[in-house]
Amino acid sequence: MATREELSEFLAGVERRAFKQAVFAVRDESHALDIVQDAMMKIAEKYGDRPAAELPLLFTRILQNVIHDFFRRSKVRSTWVTLFSALGSADEPDVDPLETLDASGDARSESTETTYEREQVVAIIEEEVAKLPARQREAFLLRYWEDLDTAETAAAMGCSEGSVKTHCSRATGALAKALRERGITL
Amino acid sequence: MNQDEFGFRVRQALNEGADRLDYKTVLRLEQARSAALARQRHAGPATVRLPALQLATAGPAVGDDGGPWGWLRGAGWIAPLVAVAIGFVAISHWQEELEIERLAALDFAVLLDDGPLEAYSDQGFGLLLQAERPADR
Repeated sequence: MATREELSEFLAGVERRAFKQAVFAVRDESHALDIVQDAMMKIAEKYGDRPAAELPLLFTRILQNVIHDFFRRSKVRSTWVTLFSALGSADEPDVDPLETLDASGDARSESTETTYEREQVVAIIEEEVAKLPARQREAFLLRYWEDLDTAETAAAMGCSEGSVKTHCSRATGALAKALRERGITL
Repeated sequence: MNQDEFGFRVRQALNEGADRLDYKTVLRLEQARSAALARQRHAGPATVRLPALQLATAGPAVGDDGGPWGWLRGAGWIAPLVAVAIGFVAISHWQEELEIERLAALDFAVLLDDGPLEAYSDQGFGLLLQAERPADR
């Protein structure tokens, strides 16, 4: 059973990422804060007696469910976002944008850039991540930001591992293309 | 650059963005966390198994962690069975004593009785004596 300290430490460790994920999904910081608070409440009330090791996957699923519930409650907005996402991903090129990305820069060389420039880059990346279709963004963030493996991501999303791989591949392709067009080199 | 490497670099950028949240947002998240912790569900009280005959004031037995006397804790459920068995033996012994006493009283009554000798061959005579014995007393 997770102690109060363990749960507190866990929530403190994930709350910022959870907030950002919610912002990417709902594109509104106020709603995103409500979503994160709702998810925190649910994991504490319903799963507060679970072992600490189970909390990450539980919280991931709860957060995704709360985000989905938010969209169910605002159907008009959900329809609009889905339509926009579908249009955005309709004409993906056959070429893999990852192949054309310049991989010469590394984190150390980037650290020499000014803080302002770096913040701008991060903001653009966040903007483009938010533009990804919902399922692609969800899979990409769970897989690469939350560091879940394919099976865990599939379990959290309620889909097959094959779907997760497809979503991740499309998401990285779309993101790489968008960043390249905006002159961002990772 | 492969997919995993690209994902890792995006992850670094996203982490930077998450670390730069404004003060108000961080404060709201802390408040949300505190509110959630206040409602944390706790498991029910743990079940403590005590041997039936162990005194509640005895405190933890030596060797609770599986030491030389640890087997006593596990054998605690045997004590009630032993008590019940002892009870059965005692009741059986008591009934046997009663039977011996009853037969002795019967023999004594027969020896003192001045009834006809034919009566002693009657199978129901013993029952008659037994029925009359309380009145004799």
